[in-house]
Amino acid sequence: MTVPGREFELHWRTSRHARRLLTLSIAGVLIALAARRPEFAGVAAPALLLLLAGRARRQPARIVVRMRLSAGRTCEGEPVTLDVQAEGHGDRHLRWMLYPAAEIDPGDAIAADGPRARFTLVAERWGSRRLGTMGVVVYDRWRLAEGHLSVILPVLDCYPAPADQRITVLLRRFPNWLGEHPARIAGKGIEFFGVREYLPGDRQRSINWPASTRRGRLQVNTFAAERAQDVVLLADATSDAGEPGSSAQDLALRGAAAAARAYLESRDRVGVISYGWGGVSWLPPRLGRRQLDRIIVSMMISRPLTTRASWAHGASLGRLPRAALPPGALIVVFSPLLDRLFVETLLSIRERGFTMLVVDVLNAGSPVQPRMSRRRGRRGSSSRVSTDRMARQIWQMEQEAIRSSLHELGVPVVRWDGVQSLDLPLAAYARRPLAARR
Amino acid sequence: MKAAGDRRAAVLVGAACVAWAAVPPGHTGYSDIALLLASLGVAAGALRLALAATPVPADTQLLTAAMHFWLRFVKILRLAPWEEGALIAVLWLEEQHPARPWHTAVLGAALIAYLLATHLAESGASPGVLRPQLRFLAIGAGLLALGAAAGAGMVTGPGTGAGSALLRLVAVGTLIAAVMLVLPYHTPP
Repeated sequence: MTVPGREFELHWRTSRHARRLLTLSIAGVLIALAARRPEFAGVAAPALLLLLAGRARRQPARIVVRMRLSAGRTCEGEPVTLDVQAEGHGDRHLRWMLYPAAEIDPGDAIAADGPRARFTLVAERWGSRRLGTMGVVVYDRWRLAEGHLSVILPVLDCYPAPADQRITVLLRRFPNWLGEHPARIAGKGIEFFGVREYLPGDRQRSINWPASTRRGRLQVNTFAAERAQDVVLLADATSDAGEPGSSAQDLALRGAAAAARAYLESRDRVGVISYGWGGVSWLPPRLGRRQLDRIIVSMMISRPLTTRASWAHGASLGRLPRAALPPGALIVVFSPLLDRLFVETLLSIRERGFTMLVVDVLNAGSPVQPRMSRRRGRRGSSSRVSTDRMARQIWQMEQEAIRSSLHELGVPVVRWDGVQSLDLPLAAYARRPLAARR
Repeated sequence: MKAAGDRRAAVLVGAACVAWAAVPPGHTGYSDIALLLASLGVAAGALRLALAATPVPADTQLLTAAMHFWLRFVKILRLAPWEEGALIAVLWLEEQHPARPWHTAVLGAALIAYLLATHLAESGASPGVLRPQLRFLAIGAGLLALGAAAGAGMVTGPGTGAGSALLRLVAVGTLIAAVMLVLPYHTPP
């Protein structure tokens, strides 16, 4: 991404070196006058001479600064390089100083000398982030004056780094879309499905000769049909818990990005629904690699800017259009399951017959941490500790109740900590297809 | 390694300046206070140079009290003009002694060397950046010597010897050279 060169005004001021020379001059002259000792005027003379000779040079009022970012979009942890170049400063020395914004790692180099410099930056957390500011200092030839300017660095769109997921959870009954998953009906795929009697019109190369010999009649091989499924990723943005960088929303975004990539690679149609306090945004299921970008962008920003994403302020999940939540779709939910309203909405969707899998992304402990015995011995401390313990137990029981209510309706809940591969918690459901039970 | 060498050189020259201004040790007037202030200024300046590369975190809200204290200390160390204070204190210390013009002239040269060494240490620049200033430093050394000679009564004194006349000629020549060096920089490019 190239930012065209812009002229910036330099604010010139005396350098520390010049201020020291000035101090020596003034102190020497004052002592010479006060003490009537001309040798102190001699001490002041060299510093005055340097100041007079150096300060009188004309300095440029403006310089042109060009910046080039190697990419306008990146993923968490991926480095981008920032090339900076200045023009119009003549033979003066130039120093670049990088002041990175929050969640931007500048690496080892935060300062560089010369008219051109390169910095490597790493966005540590997803989001649309300003990289920070770049301070430029132009020194005059004798380093007696410094011209300062500050440039605001461009914005970098940082996508969440998708987690590792290779396997996909499949539906028991696929919709009638051509795809790559072997369905439980005979069709024109490549996976062996069974044997049946030869019918006129069958291809000769599909005759199963061993079976025909055994039964005495011509038998032909049949193959499983290949179908695709609709997958809707449901990201819960109502509540966030945990440390920044590994909070529930971070995990939900990374997990949803990984799931979107895995399903899109297996030619499924993938859409996304982001559920927050302000309303619901959705992206209808579609195919293709560009859909992955659209999904990530629509999840990252609270108000989707992409034209293909729809947004309904105050809308509820129960009233989404069929395009957003097609019948028979597999819904993969990424949620910390902290919001009761959201859980009730999940139960109502399940009762409408959708197949659902919940990935629990709560990566934080109970909000009430047990107090240590620092205050042990004081009056009332034991009762406070027991209250804390009770509150913690009640919270854990509530969480268990939420999960068991989902289990009772046939919604599997798997736990993911954001560190391990998503394949591990999903492995149990990858081998047997999920059935939609009413 | 170069930065450490520059810092070491600056500290050594600064300490030498203080020592040179302090000898012979006298306890008259405010010489003790001046010596203390000069030592403090040079020492704090050295510490500032040593801690110049210490990173300061942008977000200090969650830091411990000890870290807060340390960061405040580093901030004060970086902001205060220690070298300027040391210069004034060293000149004051020198002034406490009876007139000794050539001793003062050597101190002046050492102070200029201290400032240049400190500048090189804090900017990381190579000594080559001082090359254009060599003419001015040479003329400055001449002015320093003339100041010492004037202090010793060799220029403005009542002496009528040949040495005094020669010194006056040198003084005029040095002043003309200094003006000729400075004037071209005043003309607009």
